Amino acid sequence: MKCKKLTALLLTAAMTASVLVGCGGTQESTSTGGSEPAETPGGGQNETAESSDGGSKDIIDFTMFIAMPGSEINDGNEIQEIIAQKTGVRVKETWLTGQTAAEAVGTIIAGGEYPDFIDGGDGQMALYDAGALVAWDDYLDKYPNLKEMYSDEEWDRFRQADGKIYWANIFQNTYGETKATTHNDEAFWIQAKVLAWDNYPKIETLDQYFDLLERYAAANPTMEDGTEVIPYTILCEDWRYFCIENAGQFLDGYPNDGSVIVNTDTMKIEDYNTSETTHEYFQKLNEEYQKGMVDHEFATQTYDEYIAKLSTGRVLGMCDQWWDFAFTVNDVFKQQGLDLQGCNYVPLGLTIEEGMDNMWHTYGDTQNVANGVAITTSCKDVDAAFKFLNDILDQEIHDLRFWGIEGVDYLVDDEGLYYRTEDMRMQCANTEYKASHLCVYSYLPQYLGTSRDGKNAMQVPEQTSEFFSGLAQPLVDCFNAYGVTTYVEMIGSVNKETGPWFPMYSYSNNMTTETPGGVAWAKMGEIKHEWLPKVVMSDSFDTTWEQYMKAYEECSPQDFLSEMQEELDRRAGQ
Amino acid sequence: MSRGRKQAKQKITWKEVKRQKVLLIWSALFVIYGFIFYYLPLGGWIMAFQNYKPRDGLLHSKFIGLDKFKFLFGDASFIRVIRNTLAMGTINLVTSFIMAILFAILLNEVRWVLGKKMVQTISYLPHFLSWIIVTGILHDALSSTGIVNEVLMNLGIIDKQINFFAHEGYFWPIVAFSNLWKETGWNAIIYLAAITAIDPSLYEAASIDGAGRWAKIKYITLPGIKPTIIILLLMNVGNVLNAGFEVQYLLGNGLVQKVSQTIDIYVLNWGISQNDYSLGTAAGIFKSAVSIFLIVIANRIAKHSGEESLF
Repeated sequence: MKCKKLTALLLTAAMTASVLVGCGGTQESTSTGGSEPAETPGGGQNETAESSDGGSKDIIDFTMFIAMPGSEINDGNEIQEIIAQKTGVRVKETWLTGQTAAEAVGTIIAGGEYPDFIDGGDGQMALYDAGALVAWDDYLDKYPNLKEMYSDEEWDRFRQADGKIYWANIFQNTYGETKATTHNDEAFWIQAKVLAWDNYPKIETLDQYFDLLERYAAANPTMEDGTEVIPYTILCEDWRYFCIENAGQFLDGYPNDGSVIVNTDTMKIEDYNTSETTHEYFQKLNEEYQKGMVDHEFATQTYDEYIAKLSTGRVLGMCDQWWDFAFTVNDVFKQQGLDLQGCNYVPLGLTIEEGMDNMWHTYGDTQNVANGVAITTSCKDVDAAFKFLNDILDQEIHDLRFWGIEGVDYLVDDEGLYYRTEDMRMQCANTEYKASHLCVYSYLPQYLGTSRDGKNAMQVPEQTSEFFSGLAQPLVDCFNAYGVTTYVEMIGSVNKETGPWFPMYSYSNNMTTETPGGVAWAKMGEIKHEWLPKVVMSDSFDTTWEQYMKAYEECSPQDFLSEMQEELDRRAGQ
Repeated sequence: MSRGRKQAKQKITWKEVKRQKVLLIWSALFVIYGFIFYYLPLGGWIMAFQNYKPRDGLLHSKFIGLDKFKFLFGDASFIRVIRNTLAMGTINLVTSFIMAILFAILLNEVRWVLGKKMVQTISYLPHFLSWIIVTGILHDALSSTGIVNEVLMNLGIIDKQINFFAHEGYFWPIVAFSNLWKETGWNAIIYLAAITAIDPSLYEAASIDGAGRWAKIKYITLPGIKPTIIILLLMNVGNVLNAGFEVQYLLGNGLVQKVSQTIDIYVLNWGISQNDYSLGTAAGIFKSAVSIFLIVIANRIAKHSGEESLF
């Protein structure tokens, strides 16, 4: 008996031990960065010439990882197949899920196997440091479309420490004349119906903005269907906490340098985190929070929860970037008919005091050299990859990507102008249709502005006729009431040239912990993630603000600022 | 565990080796496996003493001695994550340990076999859910419109919804609770197995002596599973620093990061996100060292008090 008992005990113990040892082992290898859990997005394997697809042409399948959340399109997507037939390349895009960009990229690097194309977002520099990217210099001249994307001077800005080009940012690149109608930047947004309710008042300052939200919410505590309204919410998740973090720079009338203010009079770097305006801004948020105007769950909501909240039309206002919410939320509004209730958001160019110039909107292109599309060393056919980047800039392919198939997704009128019918618009806002039919390749090279035919816009939202017929009536009324025609005019930013250093965030985004400034920058981010929501939610603002400032000083922000100053001097001196 | 059964030292002869050929080959396989997967990766620890760059690799990165360790211990947030890890690990250890034993004993006392089986099955099912699902459920249940707030409001216990994830004080209890919910049933299985192994004649004898249920638990069941309890306790002590990663990572947010971040999250933040593999490795080494230290101490104590021990 005794013996049996002992055996049983030993067995159980041994089994648990093996389980535990198993766990321990994984932990170990994680910390050494040796072998990562098999979560490498993209996989990095590309099978050439998949004959099962039936095409007579050999189609190369490439993979691409984009360190941004996005929706995957279906296999066999119709336009993707057409592009594959025409260019001989099909790209399977995978997106960020559940991790931060830096984590995902770090995991890929640790795994050592890369997808063919990659846009590393915040982790782009890490990819360069790991020697994972192919230099473009030997290829650029062979591919005229690609080369045409930027001027020589602009290409030079992409050069890294070793003097070579490894990636190209694909956004904010205008071809020909600009057709910008949307304010694709940050702003304090407000639902059109709120402005309509107060007979389109002039809103210039933070105080007026919140005053209007308060009055509206008091008079209309619920929506038409009985849902309670949320006057104001703030997104604080991960890198998207800019929604709470950087309004101070704009309120002071500065453009989006992102991490610092550049004082153009003195050419000195200034810290907006500690500025009087930022202090006032948070005091205001705190006051509104105490009044119950600010969403009580703002600090703990995830991006998905935030978007879901906005999509219900309950949220009257928030501070955010257009691209962070509009593409998803506006489509839902359209599908649900909420756009007709005036739920669409319009931007307000707020400043801390009345009568100041605002620079919320950046006219012209912002060249963010911090990241972009890159080709990795795992890519089996680098020439084919570059050729593909070149081919998709052909007008025909570009139209396929951004307009769709002629006759199905858009029509052409007698003067050669593209347009969509209301049905087409509805269809193109449908998630299912987007996944099975449309293939934008949204993180591969593309243009804004005017098409090569000189008439149409490169992308649908910029087509003047499309923009106006796509606007719901409440938006049209709103624009009319303010005497403007587009979002850009609505926010009314001054058109002041930004210096060659702009935007400074393209430097701070790629700082590493190699330097004291980089360490300070990482720590400042951590501290702000914790304290900014706390400051807003505090019962005694002044004490909490002081504690925050103390914690902030302990990160030695001076190290960061002086490194930014060096970079500013370097960029301005050029 | 075979102390006291000392055998006379045998000479290893070729004949003996031949006779045990098959056994030797089989154990060699495991030794090789263990070497490759548990010991070989430790070579990467060298990174902690280098300024490791993926581009240069292990062989060409510059050695910087103990700089990374100096940075670690000079970093207030590292000290804080150690505290969090230890605190959550200990809370988890104590609660899950006590609850599992309690649950196993209670379940063992249930006479209705069908009910017993049912409870057992239901209670260990959550173990098979991944953390992402458990945290999703928690997030929903504890949100301001979630079931917990609604129940509390309707019972009149609170008059305003509580945002559970915005208060540092709630975080550790939430983590402990989620651990309990998920693992109690599973952990109880091993104790139930140990209880089954107890000789039924002992219970019969006790009944004849007039022992009630309570006395039987106290004098037979508990002493009967004592060796299991001690062994598991020992192994879990070594695991205290593995307080978890997923729960804290998924439930945490900026507001509670002071109490939510564990060593694993710290390693992820600095090692992977900030690309400072060396620092991440250094933190990992520290964690392993502390774990080994804890388990040796616990083992010593067990040995000294004449109980079962691991080695």
